Amino acid sequence: MTTLIDIIQTLSILAIPSIIFFIVTYGIIKKVKIYEVFVEGAKEGFNVGVRIIPYLVAMLVAIGVFRTSGAMDFLTIIISPITNLIGMPAEALPMAIMRPLSGSGALGVMSEIINTHGPDSLIGRMVSVMMGSGETTFYVLAVYFGSVSISRTRHAVPAGIIADIAGIIMSVWLVNLIFG
Amino acid sequence: MLNYIWLSLIVIGILVAVAIDFRDISTDKFRNGEEIQTELIFDSPTPQLEKGKHYKCNISIPASEMQKIYRLPLSENLVQEAEIIVSNSNEAVIKISTDEQTPIIWRELAAAQRKDSHVLQGKIHFVKFSENVFNATLILNPVKFTKLNSVTNDGVVRYAKTAVELAIGLIGIMALWLGIMKIAEASGLITKLAGLLKPITTRLFPDVPPEHPAMGAMIMNISANILGLANAATPLGLKAMEELNKLNKKLGTATDAMCTFLVINTSNVQLIPATVIAIRAASGSANPTEILGAVIVATTVSTIVGITAVKSLSKLKVFRKQLLEGRQP
Repeated sequence: MTTLIDIIQTLSILAIPSIIFFIVTYGIIKKVKIYEVFVEGAKEGFNVGVRIIPYLVAMLVAIGVFRTSGAMDFLTIIISPITNLIGMPAEALPMAIMRPLSGSGALGVMSEIINTHGPDSLIGRMVSVMMGSGETTFYVLAVYFGSVSISRTRHAVPAGIIADIAGIIMSVWLVNLIFG
Repeated sequence: MLNYIWLSLIVIGILVAVAIDFRDISTDKFRNGEEIQTELIFDSPTPQLEKGKHYKCNISIPASEMQKIYRLPLSENLVQEAEIIVSNSNEAVIKISTDEQTPIIWRELAAAQRKDSHVLQGKIHFVKFSENVFNATLILNPVKFTKLNSVTNDGVVRYAKTAVELAIGLIGIMALWLGIMKIAEASGLITKLAGLLKPITTRLFPDVPPEHPAMGAMIMNISANILGLANAATPLGLKAMEELNKLNKKLGTATDAMCTFLVINTSNVQLIPATVIAIRAASGSANPTEILGAVIVATTVSTIVGITAVKSLSKLKVFRKQLLEGRQP
């Protein structure tokens, strides 16, 4: 199994340099003035970074209020009867709530649960799968839509949440099935 | 939709914080103003404590006092390092350093007294007992509305700062990938890539012309996501959004293609969850990668469900109307 980890690590180290190398070389072959074109494209970086600030502030402050207020414990108590039905232990529920909201928050919850229950416990495996298969939906929504100044998001949010819920249900079901 | 989620995060957060604070006040959780009988123990004989001077000492709180005041069953007396600043002949300000042994209630109190603090502050009245021991009555500085305070400081202020830091931090990597993408665009690589996956992409994004640069950018973003290259994925995704926005006839409102693209991104089509594996390995898992299969299946299912949902929802009248109403020419 260490070999698999090695392969994954090597791949993630090699991937970005190879992509850059390939694109630049291809550009040279096609006689593109690579330096000038690169700079021209890179100019936009600053504008995009600045453009997403208001969207990101709005989203992160709301998430910050939610996280620091202790609302998580409150929500856990309310939802746990429902999540019990799909075989999710109450301990794993904070992970399911945190995953779409905050990447660093979810990482914290995952580390804490793994420290308490052990990485090879059922709960430890379950939060690992949730972490791996989920995404910080609200951050992505804020940044992506913010970069093109879109505030009317139409059906992106409900569809994103449906996908998140599907991912969580699958994580719970699969872990119970494989390791339960 | 985002409006309601935003509103509920904030409203639920603040209401819960207020509820917790009122519960703490009504149960007097921190025992504000309560007198605690303690002993100050000095390393060397100290005949007199002089006004205006700082002294290092240990403060010892009998287990019986902790039991009486906080209902905490301690097996032995609590001894903590402290510093006192004498203000009067028998009065002083005390700063108690908290550590791992400190009861949680005191650590919470320290954090509530001053943000991120590991020092508990209070006042003492002392009477000399022996060469290096003083009897002291400790009154800790009172705190109230601790949750609302932490919502303000940790929630609102800190997160607003984090948001800007994140956005600024993105500028460099954004510039790099936007530059690289421009080369790929100018060399015709993007169009080529778009042509390669045409059978799939035209079904997913029927509104986007198959050879449009948006297609190429989206393909690159999704590939970066699959490989777990988070650093590259976001800039490539934003590039794709920019291209998609060029096809947008109603600026400020998301198009069908944007929604589909967003859902593919949020459902995380990732094959190699490198961070998760690293954490599992670091915490001593016998087999850190055993979750890989479950992750791949779960993420695939969530992506399929997401795409199905986004396609079906886009046909709903509510969402159609938003796209067509007041469309700019």
